[in-house]
Amino acid sequence: MSNATSFEMKERAAARVLLVPLCLFMAALLGFPTLINLWYSFSDVSFQNMIGSFVGLDNYAAALSNPKMWQALGFSLKFAVICTTLQVVAALVLVFILHPLLAKRPWMTAILMLPMMVSPALMGVMYRLILNEFTGPIPVYLEMMGYGVNFLGRGNIYKTVVAIEVLQWTPFAFLILLTARQTISYELEEAAAVDGATGFRSTLHILLPMMKPALVIVVFVRFIDSFRVFDHIYVLTGGGPGNLTTSISIYIYKLFFVQNTLGEAVAVSILLLMMSLALIVAAMRLVVRRN
Amino acid sequence: MLRSKFKSAAAALLATALSSSAAFADITILAWPGEPSESAFRKVLDLYNSTEGTKNNSKASVIYFSQQGFKEKMLADVAAGSKEFDVMLTSTYDVGLYAPFMTPIDDLITDKVYDVISKNAIETQKYEGKTYGIPTDLSLHFLYYRKDLIDQLNTDPAWKAKYEEISEKILGKKLSPKPADQWDWDDFIASALFFTKSINPDSPVRYGTVLQMKNLLYNIMLWQGTVASNGGDWRDKDGNITVDSPAYKRGLEIYKIITDNEATPGDSSTYEYGEANSVFGAGQVAFMLQWNAAVPEFSNATKYPIVAGKLGLSHEPAGSEGPKTHFHSLGLGLNKNSEKQDEAKAFLAWLATAEPMKLYAKEGGSPPLAAGPMAEIAGDRPEMVLMGEHAAKYGFVMNGSTSAKALSIYTNMAENFTGYWTGEIEQDEAIANVVADMKKAFTP
Repeated sequence: MSNATSFEMKERAAARVLLVPLCLFMAALLGFPTLINLWYSFSDVSFQNMIGSFVGLDNYAAALSNPKMWQALGFSLKFAVICTTLQVVAALVLVFILHPLLAKRPWMTAILMLPMMVSPALMGVMYRLILNEFTGPIPVYLEMMGYGVNFLGRGNIYKTVVAIEVLQWTPFAFLILLTARQTISYELEEAAAVDGATGFRSTLHILLPMMKPALVIVVFVRFIDSFRVFDHIYVLTGGGPGNLTTSISIYIYKLFFVQNTLGEAVAVSILLLMMSLALIVAAMRLVVRRN
Repeated sequence: MLRSKFKSAAAALLATALSSSAAFADITILAWPGEPSESAFRKVLDLYNSTEGTKNNSKASVIYFSQQGFKEKMLADVAAGSKEFDVMLTSTYDVGLYAPFMTPIDDLITDKVYDVISKNAIETQKYEGKTYGIPTDLSLHFLYYRKDLIDQLNTDPAWKAKYEEISEKILGKKLSPKPADQWDWDDFIASALFFTKSINPDSPVRYGTVLQMKNLLYNIMLWQGTVASNGGDWRDKDGNITVDSPAYKRGLEIYKIITDNEATPGDSSTYEYGEANSVFGAGQVAFMLQWNAAVPEFSNATKYPIVAGKLGLSHEPAGSEGPKTHFHSLGLGLNKNSEKQDEAKAFLAWLATAEPMKLYAKEGGSPPLAAGPMAEIAGDRPEMVLMGEHAAKYGFVMNGSTSAKALSIYTNMAENFTGYWTGEIEQDEAIANVVADMKKAFTP
């Protein structure tokens, strides 16, 4: 008994020692930047004065009282909800349609992944050319068919930036959900079919529940990613016209680099970090409880 | 024997090391990207490296950031104390922002430099009395128009009658066509309406003009000639903010009328320099306001065959104060953090001489040359003579637009004014937002 206790104690001590490199690594890569950013958020730091002086909660007060911050936050939330919904639904539909085909020809998955491999900024440049009213092939062909659509005009710009995000990142959701779908044993579906379940019922009552942990992860990852959208919108519209397409990331970028109000920009970032942490905790609890 | 050979080799190596440490080191230049100035500048560097650079034993190489976010990247670099580049970009509108990170170069500005570079242009590289850059490119605006179309408008009776009809119907006053160099802003708007197919189905082009209305500070520079030509300014001589003025309201309305009547492409709110050029070059519009850098591009008949030989250039339309054009210069100055100050200064001193400046102009750059060298290159670059004239006659710099806060103010204007043009916010709200931001920016 005492031998066992002594062994356990030694094991715990060894575990603690083995954790030291990881803790040091985390402290260097996450701890230091977090601390310095916390200081920035409480100071009037600027590019001309990188040390700054303590200003208390002024930056947080300025951030929270700025209507532009709420507008940008509203844009990002709405954008993230719409994009995540569309991506997950599209990915699910694709998984159920293409699963049998991809089981026989797995190399085709790589082709479906291609949009994800393009840099988002490049995606913005590409669509800036493709959707241009005069030089873009899509508007030109649509015009020839009698459907003149101005994708980058004020009335359509929101839909266009959503569509670009969905086109680029649906493959990611598809990949995760496909992997989850492939782990479900065929025998289960066969047994359900023998018991008289239709394809729809077995999808609803067997496949979807079994894919739920993957679905939660996909929804969570895609929401966070779409929420902090920056690249393709910045390249395509610069956040305009006006502030129509200014996401919270573009707003922070402008506060930081253009307005030179580094403290306020970092304060907004920290507020967002706290929001994201709350989301992460909620999502992880959901996954853990499910498991 | 072996030992003596080894000693000789070691001595030779030491001598080489000593001699190279006494000589200049190579330098790196961070320059503004984009054609035609990028290719032209590379030619200038080739010349330096084969002549003065060889003499100095100091080669110069160039690096570029992408245009998008260039200034932000450069600001982050210099604030972090970067030594990656020794010579860096300077611009009239943000010289105040970068001045703390640069070394003044007043000792390089001798009388000989004024023989090569226009004195006015050197003034635009100054902040609080100190010079921070050798100006390499002058930027201002022209009215680019299709000569064939504007000529026909002024001679064809049917077109004239239609023009009068459209101006009366939409603008509420009967206007008659004029040559482009006699336009005021009403003529600009009326011509834009006349050449728009949805208003005049007989128009040979789809839209009258193309406005650049992306939420981008450079687009505000392009637009603000409408304001200055009507006597508007950022601030009066006492420093009071004067954006809430009839001149600003008129300037905003000019773009608004054109946008609301769809006389500019529907996606103009995402347009900047490149898009406007492609629309004009594709023969889809009759005229546009554009930066001077586009002139060499439109002279290329292979690239733009539709407008080749038909391009007309004029000053911007006139307001109550006559025609005006925003102008600024881009230049090159010294990174304060650089450890090769002498080498970088030697390069800048050479750059401010006649030979490299003339070469740069011939190859497509737009240096603000003084009268002497300008006359020598006038045959190759006739529009540069026009640029010199326009800068002198019509050029303006808004009061406060070289301050450390200028970029931020321009960006705020871009946000609010593009919002007004596309119907996101009302004019009063847009102006009030800009005024509030400027008050904050100019409060010490």
